[in-house]
Amino acid sequence: MRRNLFMVLLVSVVLVGTLAFAQEKKPAEGMYFRLVTHGGDDPFWAVVQKGAMDAAKELGCKVDIDLCGGDLTLQLKRFEEAVAMKPNGIALVINDDTAWDEPVRRALEQGIPVIGMNNDDSEGAVGNPRLCYIGQSEKAAAYRLARRLFDEAKARGIDLSKAHVAMAAEVPGANYAKIRASGILEAMKEYGITSYEIIDAGGLEMTTVEARETAYLLAHPETTFLIGLGGICTDRLTASLKAAGKQPGEIIAGGFDTTPDTLAGIKEGYVTATIDQQQYLQGYFAVYVLYLYNKYGFTPNIDTGGYLVDSPEKIALIEKLSPEHIR
Amino acid sequence: MEWVRNFLRYRAANTFLVFIGLVVFFSLLTPNYLFVDRRNLAALGKLFPDLGVVALGVGVLMICGEFDLSVSSVLPFCSYVFVRLLYRGIVPFWAFWVALGVGALLGLLNGLITVKTKMPSFITTLGTMMFWRGVLYIWSKMMPAGIRNLVPSGSPFERAFAGTVGSFIPVQALWFTLFALILGILLHYHRFGNWIYATGDNRDAARAMGINTDLVKTICFMIVGILCGFSACMQAVRIGSFAATQGIGFELRAIAACVVGGTSLRGGVGSMPGIVLGALTIPILDNGLILLRVPVFGISAFIGIATILFVVLNSYVERKTR
Repeated sequence: MRRNLFMVLLVSVVLVGTLAFAQEKKPAEGMYFRLVTHGGDDPFWAVVQKGAMDAAKELGCKVDIDLCGGDLTLQLKRFEEAVAMKPNGIALVINDDTAWDEPVRRALEQGIPVIGMNNDDSEGAVGNPRLCYIGQSEKAAAYRLARRLFDEAKARGIDLSKAHVAMAAEVPGANYAKIRASGILEAMKEYGITSYEIIDAGGLEMTTVEARETAYLLAHPETTFLIGLGGICTDRLTASLKAAGKQPGEIIAGGFDTTPDTLAGIKEGYVTATIDQQQYLQGYFAVYVLYLYNKYGFTPNIDTGGYLVDSPEKIALIEKLSPEHIR
Repeated sequence: MEWVRNFLRYRAANTFLVFIGLVVFFSLLTPNYLFVDRRNLAALGKLFPDLGVVALGVGVLMICGEFDLSVSSVLPFCSYVFVRLLYRGIVPFWAFWVALGVGALLGLLNGLITVKTKMPSFITTLGTMMFWRGVLYIWSKMMPAGIRNLVPSGSPFERAFAGTVGSFIPVQALWFTLFALILGILLHYHRFGNWIYATGDNRDAARAMGINTDLVKTICFMIVGILCGFSACMQAVRIGSFAATQGIGFELRAIAACVVGGTSLRGGVGSMPGIVLGALTIPILDNGLILLRVPVFGISAFIGIATILFVVLNSYVERKTR
């Protein structure tokens, strides 16, 4: 009896051992990557993180993400700490045109690959020595959104030469707001629209944003387009339009991200279109690109964004994937 | 002119005069009298109580001599509790009471840490502000969670927190008024109010009078927590979701509202009418300036200057009338 038990145990150990050896080694095992971001208070970064972790799982590498809550000094410190850890690569949110030039150059000199993600130097590779950039081309996405809204107006017979564009930004001086606004301004030029204003929506707190958007709409009846430059400003569009007594479509509205109220606004007809940045891909591709750089030296620039959500079918897809933190 | 002198001696009088001045100014000067437009008043009445309700509690706590910076984290935390419970199939009514209970518990924790460790509440609640926000981020993963299908528009619960009375008056404004009345009576016509003033004015003297100052402070922290829970549910129902950014900046804006209303940063001084006026003045200023078509870009600068001027005015008039 004891002999049989011993044999069974021996066979089990041999089998488990063979299976373990037979299991293919994952391609990036032993590699360590770090994502140094300015993210923090919003759901956007949970999705980026999910993308990075999914890629790490597939490749068998280790990945950590820093969320610095918009604090540039802290982000610089985290970057220096990451460099000191000598990882196999760093994906960095380049949210300042000058602050990152030297740190990135020094890291590259030390042989640590640094790629840009989510936000790039406004001059791209000319402005910062990072190896490549993965993220939404903010300007292109904003341009695409604006064209969609202006086409909607044209289809309704609105005289665009008299149109007024209001753009609400949570943090008007931030890079995202400046670059997105520049994309919209470029589209405005093409459509012959000259009148516009950028609104300081007062921060990330939703009630303040709603109050300012509502008051602006009441004070500026000439407003033809209301565009949220960030996710929170876009989320509050519908409530503000309703509070200002506007009917669906009376003002052509659109913006960025796919929060519950933005999607509800599209369904109700208050919001015409919104841009989904597909940020899952930013985290996912950042890890893959760093791995491929280590293996083959690839440095691809990848545009992950600009998915225009403007129909119930597209909303259905997003609503299905949103609880999984993929959209 | 003795009555004028007496009136001005009342600390909230300056805020009241400036408030009336602002209302008249904006009513007359905004294009097409937009300030008193039904839509604008409805929007104001609907939106200001989110912060206003919290400010009422923060004001009472400040009179008691303490601060609560954690409101900006307790509020979204309660909101998330409320939304998670709805997702688990709990009816909104009970989810609301649990959220209030969680607010009270977090307030109790703030109070106990403050009174037991004798740490300044500024530090205690700075710590809990960061702690609860961190916990919230890990728990919620910062994802918004929609509740429109769980608290549908027009349902009794939705109407109780985001509806209108008589097709015009936002119910939020009525809740704010109700809380202001309750806390006003508590503060000015109840023994507990005397204890609050005594505790905030001179803690040792209050103790010598037999007042359990630790208990008074802890109860005031709990009042703030409960009001955060209430505001959290009210806001979540209105915006139709939980958002991780709810309450951001409330900690200082609530204090600013109370200071504008004549509440002292050193405790022992302040009044409920003053806090109410303070909670109304800043949103009105913000709103009126936009309606006047002042460039919205940089309007925060006006609010900042106004807050400083209010404090200077309060101090000046107080010195003059003394």
